[in-house]
Amino acid sequence: MTGRVDELPEPTGRSLPLPERWAPEQQETIPGVSWAWQAITGVLLLVLLTLHMIANHFVVQGGLRDYQQVIDYITNPVILPLETLFLVVVSWHGLLGLRAVIFDFGLSARAERIVTRVFVAIWVVTVIYGVTLLAILVTHR
Amino acid sequence: MTDRAVTRDADPRPSPGVPLSARRRGVAGWVDVRGRRLGGVAFILNRITGLGVLFYLYLHLVVLSQLAVGPSAWDSLLKNWFLNPVFLVLDVVLLAGLLIHGLNGIRVALVGLGLVVSRQKALLGAFGTIGAIVLLIGTLMFISHGG
Amino acid sequence: MSETVTFRVQRFKQGDPASHYDTFQESTDPRTTVLDVLTRIRRVEDPTLTLRHSCFHASCGTCGMKVNGREVLACVTNVRELGTDEVVVQPLDNAPLVSDLVVDMGPFYARFNAIDRPLVRESELVPGSHPAEGIPHAERYEDCIECGICLSACPIAATDPEYLGPAALAAADRLREEPRGQQVPPALRLADDPHGAWRCHVAFECSEACPSNVDPAGHIMSLRRSLIGRRWRALRGEPVGAER
Repeated sequence: MTGRVDELPEPTGRSLPLPERWAPEQQETIPGVSWAWQAITGVLLLVLLTLHMIANHFVVQGGLRDYQQVIDYITNPVILPLETLFLVVVSWHGLLGLRAVIFDFGLSARAERIVTRVFVAIWVVTVIYGVTLLAILVTHR
Repeated sequence: MTDRAVTRDADPRPSPGVPLSARRRGVAGWVDVRGRRLGGVAFILNRITGLGVLFYLYLHLVVLSQLAVGPSAWDSLLKNWFLNPVFLVLDVVLLAGLLIHGLNGIRVALVGLGLVVSRQKALLGAFGTIGAIVLLIGTLMFISHGG
Repeated sequence: MSETVTFRVQRFKQGDPASHYDTFQESTDPRTTVLDVLTRIRRVEDPTLTLRHSCFHASCGTCGMKVNGREVLACVTNVRELGTDEVVVQPLDNAPLVSDLVVDMGPFYARFNAIDRPLVRESELVPGSHPAEGIPHAERYEDCIECGICLSACPIAATDPEYLGPAALAAADRLREEPRGQQVPPALRLADDPHGAWRCHVAFECSEACPSNVDPAGHIMSLRRSLIGRRWRALRGEPVGAER
């Protein structure tokens, strides 16, 4: 080997320090978990949303379901769990996506934690709202 | 701290004495597609459709509360608003948004797993074609059912 | 076969409230490059024009700038081939502006050098080379010329100052592929971060803009695959072991 550049002594001050956030101890969650969630829920949505669109748009006479048709639809024992799952997954995927957009602005680790908690709260409220609505419709037929 | 990957000397340069505040493009760097290629356009389309669909989701959830009010409330809403041709157009916009986001999502997930990376451009082209065809069929179905 | 082309060059000096454009009428022949014109402007018309260049042949990576809205190396950008009567020249984006066409590469180098990827490839020599006598073989360097073009083209770098960036992530993946006796985990620890490999949104603008065929986006994706594999193996209690 003749004079390999990477074997030369490193000049002092060759590099600048990185911003503080690159300390591993700052990482509280497993990196990539959000990405994995987004991919998994995305794949689920491909199925659930396609079903939802077909069932509510394309196979209905008149294009949209009237009240009685809606009730008949969601009281179907196969449809109810599917639509509930759809609610849970679509709100998770959407809020996680918005969170990623916000994180693209490079917040502090503390701000990121707060955003995450707020979004989990919004998600819980959304699911409670949707499940309540479904319960009202299923019980008051 | 000792095992931090970065153990380097502090910046040896004198302070440049200049406002070296990061000159970032900001959101313009997302939405300004001048000079950008297909992938950059796909990125911003994915972002816009994602935010749009999320907004629609919450609008949709709020509107569905009318179901709890009772049959007359829902059915009149349907008759007076949602079966209107204007809403038909909005439905087509929604379908287009879902198709763009869904198909690009498949690309992003596949490529993000390190699969088909070398053919990601071909994937974009194929998905664009599929999306256009499904949108056309969907629009025709909206029209035939709604009309 | 001289042809006159209008050059609109972005100008900024420290203390200026904002940047502005100066216009120069420049004669070009079929082989004139943007860097030829800029150095001529500096020599003949305006010695205060600040620009950075060195090798004139796409090796040094110092003349990265935006020409007609796209990141290029000015030294290998033929003016006539741009096909426009007016050529707009701007400094790279997403880096602090020092003067005219010169940006501060410090933040870029801080990230890139932190990965500490060796420069010479072990797996590959320069194909078809005929080294002079006494030199056993022509060594093949890594492709990245550290020009900062990828960071300028990246939409995420436009908003996220924490983003490790395409070049550094590509370097981490190269180190993973070919450790060359170097420690891989420290580089992966930097890359495996919400503002590292996971921040990329697959626009592939870096790979499109890269003048040196590094394909940073492709490397970010293979980095992700590797990180997923490591996590999967760790989950199943298998040794994470191999870096690939």
